[in-house]
Amino acid sequence: MKKILVVEDEKALCLLYEEELQRAGYAVTAVSDADAALEEIGKGSFDLIITDIRMPGKNGIELITHIMGLRKDIPIIINSAYQSHKEDFMTWAADAYVVKSSSLDELKLKIKELIGE
Amino acid sequence: MIEKYSFLTADFQKDAPKEMMLLSIISQSFFQPFSLEDNLLVILTALTSGSGVGFNRAMLFLKDGDRLRGEMWLGPSTPEEAGYIWEVLSTPGIGYVEIIEHNRALVSKDENTLSRRMKNLVFTLDEKTCAQFPARAACHREIYLVREASNDPQVDPRFLALVQVDEFLCIPLVAQDEVFGEIVLDNAFTRVPISPGDIKLAGLCGLIASNYIYSTTLHKRLLDAEKMAAMGEMAMFVTHQLRNPLVTIGGFTDQLLLPEGVSDEKRERNLRIIHDEIARLEGIVYQMGHFLKVSMKEPVYFDVAPAIEAVLRSPEVQARGREYSLTVKIEPCLPQVLCDPTSFGEVLRNLLHNAFDATPPGGTVSVRAYRKNSTSFVLSVGDTGKGISNPDKGQLFQPFFTTKEKGMGLGLPFIKRVMDTCGGQIQVRSRVGKGALFKLIFQSREGSQRS
Repeated sequence: MKKILVVEDEKALCLLYEEELQRAGYAVTAVSDADAALEEIGKGSFDLIITDIRMPGKNGIELITHIMGLRKDIPIIINSAYQSHKEDFMTWAADAYVVKSSSLDELKLKIKELIGE
Repeated sequence: MIEKYSFLTADFQKDAPKEMMLLSIISQSFFQPFSLEDNLLVILTALTSGSGVGFNRAMLFLKDGDRLRGEMWLGPSTPEEAGYIWEVLSTPGIGYVEIIEHNRALVSKDENTLSRRMKNLVFTLDEKTCAQFPARAACHREIYLVREASNDPQVDPRFLALVQVDEFLCIPLVAQDEVFGEIVLDNAFTRVPISPGDIKLAGLCGLIASNYIYSTTLHKRLLDAEKMAAMGEMAMFVTHQLRNPLVTIGGFTDQLLLPEGVSDEKRERNLRIIHDEIARLEGIVYQMGHFLKVSMKEPVYFDVAPAIEAVLRSPEVQARGREYSLTVKIEPCLPQVLCDPTSFGEVLRNLLHNAFDATPPGGTVSVRAYRKNSTSFVLSVGDTGKGISNPDKGQLFQPFFTTKEKGMGLGLPFIKRVMDTCGGQIQVRSRVGKGALFKLIFQSREGSQRS
């Protein structure tokens, strides 16, 4: 089973992603900030990371920079409420950018494209 | 010896040189907060008032897209009216304001004014009309004096039928390489020939008018651009604020609608999450409506002590204050303070919540209220929280700037608006890691001596 790390500071969204991605057949670990995410990455191996941009503490971009220093091979999806950040070149280090939407279809599709089912 | 002079001369001296008068009238217009139209009226007034350059009539055309449109025509309609007006205008003690008032009434009068008659005069700035006067002056960006107009095929016949003069002067309004319009001047009643001196002065007026139109237009464009930028920022922020709760509501609703169904327990949980997110959306909508409201209430003098106490005693402040060491020092016999009382309460409540948000539980939040002097009063809220970094300091009062996870960035801009409305001041002192102090200085007066 492919393992996904979700970094999202909103509790309810964290829960939603966890449940929905599990239902789609992935093993999901969800954390609420960048430091917890780095800790998880240090501990275990993940096939994919999904991160928000705006979070307390380190933001998503800073998190990606840190991950790049540790592991360059894990694909990263940015999942943000800001449509406009998509054009921001700092976000280009990620493998995909999905704007948050009430339907998780696009997110699931991108995950499938990057790591398969 | 040092002497002080005023920029504005109180009235017009009849024997002053024309150039002086002209400069005096026009320069005064820039001291008044009048509209573009009013200030153009001033320039036309300067050109036609007996004590100014002294043309009988002045016509203003403004460029509107690719057309030159008749906008304003100043001057008497008959020789009798002319005599009367010039008499009024040269009355000693008649000042700028009176003349403008007089001319404004003249311009806005119904039916038989000249302005109304020239509004139908529109020239397309194309090859045909540009070959004819008066539009040709604007096209070529040159001053033209037209004589023996009735015999000249280069003069537009409609224009000639309206003005019925043989001699007129065309001054194009050009600034920064852009045509803004044209002024046409004549001496329809006195029939005095237009002199080279008059042309020079009228040209000067044209330059001033065009630069004035240019800077006003530029200013308006800048304001519009700023507004657009602010709106863009706001739209981006609102999008973000609304999207998270919407995604949550949408996602958990979809779970409820799954064909395989959900357990009662999960249904209950999802509905609760949806309920909470809707409450959050309501909060966002409330804050947007509340803090961004267009008008502020008029400030009044009110007893400040009970207003402060009411906020400090309110259940939400009491509840949050329990986690902190809340120290309150309110001077006895506080004065009456100038502010809208409701806004004052909201300002204090906002400052307190900011202090609580910035300070870890167990820290100190202090409220002080005291007289600064006999006409000013200070309300301060301090905390021992995380403080404000230097880059953040510059943006504190900008709408939608926030360092809080779920803040809207509307509290401090609201406080600034309240303080601006009542003529107060805000001082902020802070050191990162040590805390912050917000000091609000209000105008005050000695009022009822309740403690």
